[in-house]
Amino acid sequence: MRFVSAITAAAVVLAGMPATAQDAPAPTAATGPQDEDERGLWMQVEDAERKLKASNFVIRDPALNDYVRSVYCKAVGPSECAGVRIYITRTPFFNASMAPNGMMQIWSGLFLRVRDEAQLAAVLAHEHTHYRQRHSLRLFRNIKDKTNAAAWLAIVPFAGIISLGMLGSIFSFSREMEREADSGSLTALSASGYDPEAASQIWGQMLAEFDATAAERKRKRRSEGGMFATHPPSVERQADLKKQAAALPAGGERRRGKDSYRAALAPYWADLIDDQIKLNDFGATDLLLGQLASDGWTAELLFARGELHRARGAAGDFDKAAGYYADAVARGAPVEAQRGLGMALLRSGKSAEGQAALKEYLRLRPEAKDKAMIAMLAGESS
Amino acid sequence: MRKFLMIAGGAALLAAAPAMAGFKLMPAGQPQLIRKSALTVTPGIAWNRLGARLGRNAEAWTLDGNTLNDLIFYTAIPAGQTLFREVDKKNKPLPKFDAKMLAPDVVAMFESSYRIANSTSLFSVDSVEPATFAGKPGFRFTYSFTIQNEEVRRSGEATGAIVNGQLYMITFEAPKIHYYDRNIADYRAVVASAKVG
Repeated sequence: MRFVSAITAAAVVLAGMPATAQDAPAPTAATGPQDEDERGLWMQVEDAERKLKASNFVIRDPALNDYVRSVYCKAVGPSECAGVRIYITRTPFFNASMAPNGMMQIWSGLFLRVRDEAQLAAVLAHEHTHYRQRHSLRLFRNIKDKTNAAAWLAIVPFAGIISLGMLGSIFSFSREMEREADSGSLTALSASGYDPEAASQIWGQMLAEFDATAAERKRKRRSEGGMFATHPPSVERQADLKKQAAALPAGGERRRGKDSYRAALAPYWADLIDDQIKLNDFGATDLLLGQLASDGWTAELLFARGELHRARGAAGDFDKAAGYYADAVARGAPVEAQRGLGMALLRSGKSAEGQAALKEYLRLRPEAKDKAMIAMLAGESS
Repeated sequence: MRKFLMIAGGAALLAAAPAMAGFKLMPAGQPQLIRKSALTVTPGIAWNRLGARLGRNAEAWTLDGNTLNDLIFYTAIPAGQTLFREVDKKNKPLPKFDAKMLAPDVVAMFESSYRIANSTSLFSVDSVEPATFAGKPGFRFTYSFTIQNEEVRRSGEATGAIVNGQLYMITFEAPKIHYYDRNIADYRAVVASAKVG
């Protein structure tokens, strides 16, 4: 409880916000909604949660779910995290959201974009602050005062779910709450021994990614569109977070948890990267692979780089791809690297070598789903 | 009803379709030239052609309503063009066809286009094999996918070929439950009737 009031105090001091709900207990399933507005919100959100529970998109892998929950509980404290349900969904973009009843959603693309446990904790603590400060309810009342309740439904598809990037753009009010959540996140990181620098780094990385996407597509980054519309401008936000982190009392633990994060996510990289490559966003994907390879190019990352270049198929890409696949094979890459190697070589006019690689792929993966087609391309009579 | 159809259509590939302009009957046994291009098919049973345009080189037919059973024709797609209309060219550009593509490359382009247009990662290619299309050497592949916030599991089959550097392909997709199995043979009959040129 002491921890909770620390968050609230910091939010008020740092964001200068009137935190109306600060003294109320956490809106847990046990306490339930407190008044008519909150009951209305909960009804809608509970319906959304019933649908989400049955969704094909929820990643139910216990190891991944346990890990994310453990980081969340470390960051906000065991009593605070207890009532919250976390749903990890297979959606290849950066986002997390929190509903007023304690339903948290994390998109799988987030895992490719945070680099260590401290950064994951920063996002989770940010969402927790929205929940703890009843931001959904405050936003709802704000809109209700200005317009009417129906407008709320039109604006927010799943009523009351405050996400990192999905709310409408016209509410400066929600920007204030974002600042408050950012501050809450910093306080939680500091109190739980994670490096509070992590919060500002995430936004720096996101800006770099948007720049990479834009550069590859030969256009300017949208300065204030998309998810930046409701969130304080990211450049400003990054600077604010950095300043606030620096102002926190020095000393204490400053954990990053890079190794533990990488170890926990290792079984999922291949799928996460595959989803990312198929988004046809060469600039961002190339940048993300480079970030993942900060400690060196592994066989899996080289394979992914080959897949990325082969999918783009611009001038020189097939030769580059063949090189990456060959390096990947030399380092013990997945069998699919032989398939990629063969396809890349065929596209760059090296038929004999390409067919040899495809034959090797079929030898190693006799049950391949595309066996019949690859066998034909490999020149095998079937 | 019109609005309902638009919402339902928005769920699958037809998200790209701007408006529903009604259906036109495609009677059994009558040859149909697809989008005034070089592709002709003769359906074995009557289908309904959707008025909505999927793109310059694509058109859709259905039996019971789009998303229940969709027959989609891609005809004479030239190099540098997308499979169907861009959904958000600026922020979510679709991959483009290349005349030098091999069958697995076409499958990858199809998969990527579907993932982007439908905002889904639940898409898998289940088989890829050589096939004859309109008398030309081509390919056949099967796939399955699910769209978020809609959750219906769908299966699909595609058959096509690259002829004179242009892509020709016919796909069929329907919910795994009931609809796919019920009409897959009708789709294959349409494919068997295809003529290019």
